[in-house]
Amino acid sequence: MAPARTRSPALARDLARLDERLSAKPAAHLKVNGLSIGYSTLRGRFHAVEDVSFEVRAGTNLGLVGESGCGKSTVVKALMGLLPEFTGISGEALLDGQNILGLSDAQLEPIRWNRISLITQSAMNSLDPVYCIGDQICEAILAHEKVGKAVAWARAEEMFALVGLPAERLYEFPHQFSGGMRQRAVIAMALALNAGMLLADEPTTALDPIMQSQIMSRIRGIHEHMRRSMILVTHDIAVVAETCEAVVVMYAGKVAESGPTADVLERPLHPYTMGLQNAFPRLPVRGQPRQPLISIPGTVPNLLLPPSGCRFASRCPFATDLCRTTAPQLHTVGAQSAACHYTERADEFRAAAARPETWRNMRVGA
Amino acid sequence: MRAYILRRLAQSVLVVWAVTTIMFFMFRVMPADPTAILLERGLTDEARQALLEQWGLTGSMWDQYLAYLGNLIQGDFGSSFFYRKPVWEVLWPLIVNTLWIAIPGLLLGAAIGAAIGTAVGWARRGGKLERSGIFLATVIRGVPNFVIGIALLTIFSSTLGWFPGFGMGDPGATTGFARYFTLDFLHHLALPLIAVIIYFMPENLLLMRSGVVENRTEDYIELVRAKGVPQRRVAWHAARNSMLPLITWLFPALAETIAGIVVIEIVFSWPGVGRELVLAVTRQDYPLAQAAFFLLAVMIVLANLAADLVYGKLDPRVVYK
Ligand SMILES: Nc1ncnc2c1ncn2[C@@H]1O[C@H](COP(=O)(O)OP(=O)(O)O)[C@@H](O)[C@H]1O
Ligand code: SF4
Ligand SMILES: [Mg+2]
Repeated sequence: MAPARTRSPALARDLARLDERLSAKPAAHLKVNGLSIGYSTLRGRFHAVEDVSFEVRAGTNLGLVGESGCGKSTVVKALMGLLPEFTGISGEALLDGQNILGLSDAQLEPIRWNRISLITQSAMNSLDPVYCIGDQICEAILAHEKVGKAVAWARAEEMFALVGLPAERLYEFPHQFSGGMRQRAVIAMALALNAGMLLADEPTTALDPIMQSQIMSRIRGIHEHMRRSMILVTHDIAVVAETCEAVVVMYAGKVAESGPTADVLERPLHPYTMGLQNAFPRLPVRGQPRQPLISIPGTVPNLLLPPSGCRFASRCPFATDLCRTTAPQLHTVGAQSAACHYTERADEFRAAAARPETWRNMRVGA
Repeated sequence: MRAYILRRLAQSVLVVWAVTTIMFFMFRVMPADPTAILLERGLTDEARQALLEQWGLTGSMWDQYLAYLGNLIQGDFGSSFFYRKPVWEVLWPLIVNTLWIAIPGLLLGAAIGAAIGTAVGWARRGGKLERSGIFLATVIRGVPNFVIGIALLTIFSSTLGWFPGFGMGDPGATTGFARYFTLDFLHHLALPLIAVIIYFMPENLLLMRSGVVENRTEDYIELVRAKGVPQRRVAWHAARNSMLPLITWLFPALAETIAGIVVIEIVFSWPGVGRELVLAVTRQDYPLAQAAFFLLAVMIVLANLAADLVYGKLDPRVVYK
């Protein structure tokens, strides 16, 4: 649709130059080391994220999974510099070698959206209700590129085409869009400057299942096409299996397990990863019966008073006294690592974890 | 949209009619005899009767009411008992005088209040700017209007002598519209105008501040920040969204504000409609008082209508039905 509109030769030339400049941006490399984040609340300071480390290699996707409240969004916000005032942050996040943690808004201005951009959840309120979508996309482009409004608008039209939205709808306001369209608009906005690193925080959670898979395949398609680096936050391990080269499983603010997706999903070392796998409908494997859904009993512990031993101990079917008193170190097995005292018994645990009664017979909260 | 405006206009006419009717009967049931100012003592009965007829004060109250409405529709407000000339001639220059302090005063008060309110709302929570901004606004809001006026008079007129403290100045050689563009007029205008601004600013400041505080933690503001636009621009998004509740408050608040302007006109002896309205009531000059009330009602109703339309311009989600 967009190219069919008549653009003046000058506009077409400027747009081509902008496109060329943006597509020349390389995919980014991100290395997070020992990231800890403490929120200040009325009831005191607590660590929502503790000693989290991972690496996103240029041009790859990293899945960040875990139940709600495990600190995934907190990690994403820290990377965008969006945590509230008075939040304690330590550790480093090297974006192409430059530490981007603890920078001021002014220092972040040239980095945000230009080098690292964000796909938020499609909640109604992630777009400003009083500006039309086109203006909101142009605002991002104009903040970083010295081009005229017409060129920025033309670029926004291209981004809309990329996510399958007609260019005329750029003139519309967020409330005129359906949830799925809003999500695509947010993706178009995140792609507008072709940032080397994309952060997608549960980009499909608010949508119905059909729309979810449409949006996810759209994201995958764009990834193939543009080869950006991405952190995909989700609590759906099946999505990670289809989309991400590497995965980090977070539990109660800490890394439970991480490694190449194929390894982690095939041979999980951490009982929490095993539990998560049971909780999501696996892609049906030909010739095998569909896995029953088993959810992990209990809830994520209160981080104001974190348990002294392993954080998963109260919900883990394999917990021992050692687990309840001593926090496990990360154990590395091949390219994979997991924070569990008994990684060497993982084969045995996997067999047990696949049986629903293993989880059902637990006494939660012991 | 057009149907909506027509319906709102019809409602407005109804409201103005109701106010007019209430005012008409209220003045007539007041205990004192208003004709006293009209009729000199020692008149013969015939002369008295002739005068009453001339001023439309004969016949039943109902007849008088119908005659009054009939004249009103033709734009005839009758004649002032006190000035003995058509009400319109008395009011017209006073309206202009009032608008001189009211419109710039309210606009500047709203604009300055909104600007400071945005800065205060956007400032670090619990910081100096936030605390002093809220303190200042709360204090000013608590001080009665006439005290602000008298304080301004005492400081800038009596003590420092920078500004005149009374009236609108001597028209001197300049008459008609030209007088409004003399330095002397502007000099006299300054203090009452500042009084209106100070009076109207705090509420705007506080409303804008709480709007910005509420909006600054919204998801869409987070996304604007994430885009890497300058902080001013981010604050603008919060301010732009906070204007919506401000507008809904602003126009209806004009009704109350008119009472404040009446006080300021009296303190500064500013020859405006408000001051004249109070004088007319004490003099029992009903044609004049009724006309002044009629004008106020029309202004308030129009302000409300304007609020609706401005709101629709600012908020794309509004649909007129
Ligand atoms: N602004 C905040 N202030 C205080 N606590 C917060 C704030 N945001 C999140 N939290 C808490 O931090 C923990 C992690 O939250 P979050 O990062 O949103 O988890 P996830 O994205 O994995 O669901 C939760 O316990 C949550 O209640
Ligand atoms: S350390 Fe113990 S409680 Fe924690 S996951 Fe491993 S077995 Fe379970
Ligand atoms: Mg989250």
